[in-house]
Amino acid sequence: MSPGHVAIVGAGPAGMSTAIAANKAGCKVTLLDEASRVGGQIYRRPISDVVAASFTSRAEQKRKAGLLAGFGAIASQIHYVPEAQVISAFAGPELQYVSNATTHTLRPDAVVLAAGVREKMFPFEGWTLPGILGAGGAQSILKAQMTVLGKRMVVAGAGPLPLVVAAQMLRAGVDVRALALLNSLAAFGRRPLSLLNGYEAVLDGFGYLATVLLANTQRLKRYVPIRAEGRRQLEAVTLARVDAKGRALPNTEKTIETDVLALNYGFVANAELAAMFGVEMKYGDLSGWHPKTDAFGRTSVPGVFACGDMAGLRGAFVAQSEGSIVGNAAARFCVGDRPETQIKETKTRARHQRFQKVVASSLTLPTGLWDLSLPNTTICRCEGKSKKDVLAAFDQGHLLINAVKRNTRCGMGWCGGRSCLHTVSHMATLRTQNAPPEPMTARPLARPVSLADLANAVTGEADAT
Amino acid sequence: MGCQKPVSTEGAFEFLFDEEPVSARKGQSVAAALMQAGQYCLRIDEFGVPKGAFCGIGFCWECRCRINGVSNERACLAIAQPGMRVETQEGLE
Repeated sequence: MSPGHVAIVGAGPAGMSTAIAANKAGCKVTLLDEASRVGGQIYRRPISDVVAASFTSRAEQKRKAGLLAGFGAIASQIHYVPEAQVISAFAGPELQYVSNATTHTLRPDAVVLAAGVREKMFPFEGWTLPGILGAGGAQSILKAQMTVLGKRMVVAGAGPLPLVVAAQMLRAGVDVRALALLNSLAAFGRRPLSLLNGYEAVLDGFGYLATVLLANTQRLKRYVPIRAEGRRQLEAVTLARVDAKGRALPNTEKTIETDVLALNYGFVANAELAAMFGVEMKYGDLSGWHPKTDAFGRTSVPGVFACGDMAGLRGAFVAQSEGSIVGNAAARFCVGDRPETQIKETKTRARHQRFQKVVASSLTLPTGLWDLSLPNTTICRCEGKSKKDVLAAFDQGHLLINAVKRNTRCGMGWCGGRSCLHTVSHMATLRTQNAPPEPMTARPLARPVSLADLANAVTGEADAT
Repeated sequence: MGCQKPVSTEGAFEFLFDEEPVSARKGQSVAAALMQAGQYCLRIDEFGVPKGAFCGIGFCWECRCRINGVSNERACLAIAQPGMRVETQEGLE
């Protein structure tokens, strides 16, 4: 009996370890990834080897090297497609992707979605100014391109990433003018035993904290940006202290001149393909709508699996051990076998999951943040729709995300709603005091592609797989 | 954890941004090279709002600009090449 074909979407820690496990189980493996090299957002590697400097911790470098070596050993045995844009997911399972201006169709026995997450930011006056970008995005550019994006930077956000980014930027020589954290990192210390579960991350964290303390960087506790100013690009940002509900407190404003404002207020799951497959979705405060999975990464649709951050925000450690579990389960599904429990990987995953619960508490956002913007503040950056446009739709009774989209055009632009729909969702929740009742309907195409790319389809290929 | 500066002139070359030369290194994206040079605005959108790289990883499409005459290229994903012509994009193209 043929061992089957597993197609994986995403080549971060989850997708890479899924590929390793499915290959080991004897499956034919296709790995589709949007980037030009494997590693995902976390294990970014310099495109150029001209400068070998690194700003990440030694421990992270070691983990990254281990996974890359494991993947390197199987890379020639699998079909790895870099710079692939997966545009559609259909029952079957069937996937369509664009690579090299050509559309391909795959009909594998099992699909594993490991598409990760994107950064979450909230809108405030002036937030569309050039120079304001995701802290993770700025970090990716530092890691992959050894480039600092400005001489002066303000880093703001919630959770552990802003600290990491501030430290890495300091090590790269940037004048980090302030680190504004919404939630105190001291909260971690209140559950010391839970911290032991994530000792690797905690050790990294101490290193980054030491860098920030030694640099004597201005630390602003419970401050968030409320206004950005500049003509063609960012010149200054004003931050204010917020109360427990996320409302700006009067007379707490601080204005700081800067070239770059790097923001990260958590993450949103890249769940569009899961929704397109029609799998049962689940809402979580941490990463919004994401596929509901069991311990083996199985979704409600047979043959469609999901793992890593896109199946619920849990970090790279969980993603990596989960990839092994899910890759194995997907391989067994191909030949009609039930999944088997992998004791070692399951234990590792459980340990990291316990730690991630502590991290999660620092990523909980007060609802008032979604109301800091002014009536004319842009919500949907692509279609130029403002807060008052969204509120007008609410007033007309459109409180579901699909209805707001149809009535305002929010989410109908180039990014497909990836930048604004979580904001609309949080604004609706603030209005109704209820969790969002439905995810956005996802339809092909998941990415903007040219008609020429679609017309240039490879036929007959799917049957050959 | 000493202070390591990523500045290197090795593999340096120039490309044009709105006719002006900008210095870049091998492997740098157009957006990264421009931001390092202090240029953050890559597009004036159809509503007259200046835009630049926002997500930095390719999903938001905010950094659309014209590269070698082709509109709507993402500056954060396009790798800078010697002699490349990059232009600020205006309105819908």
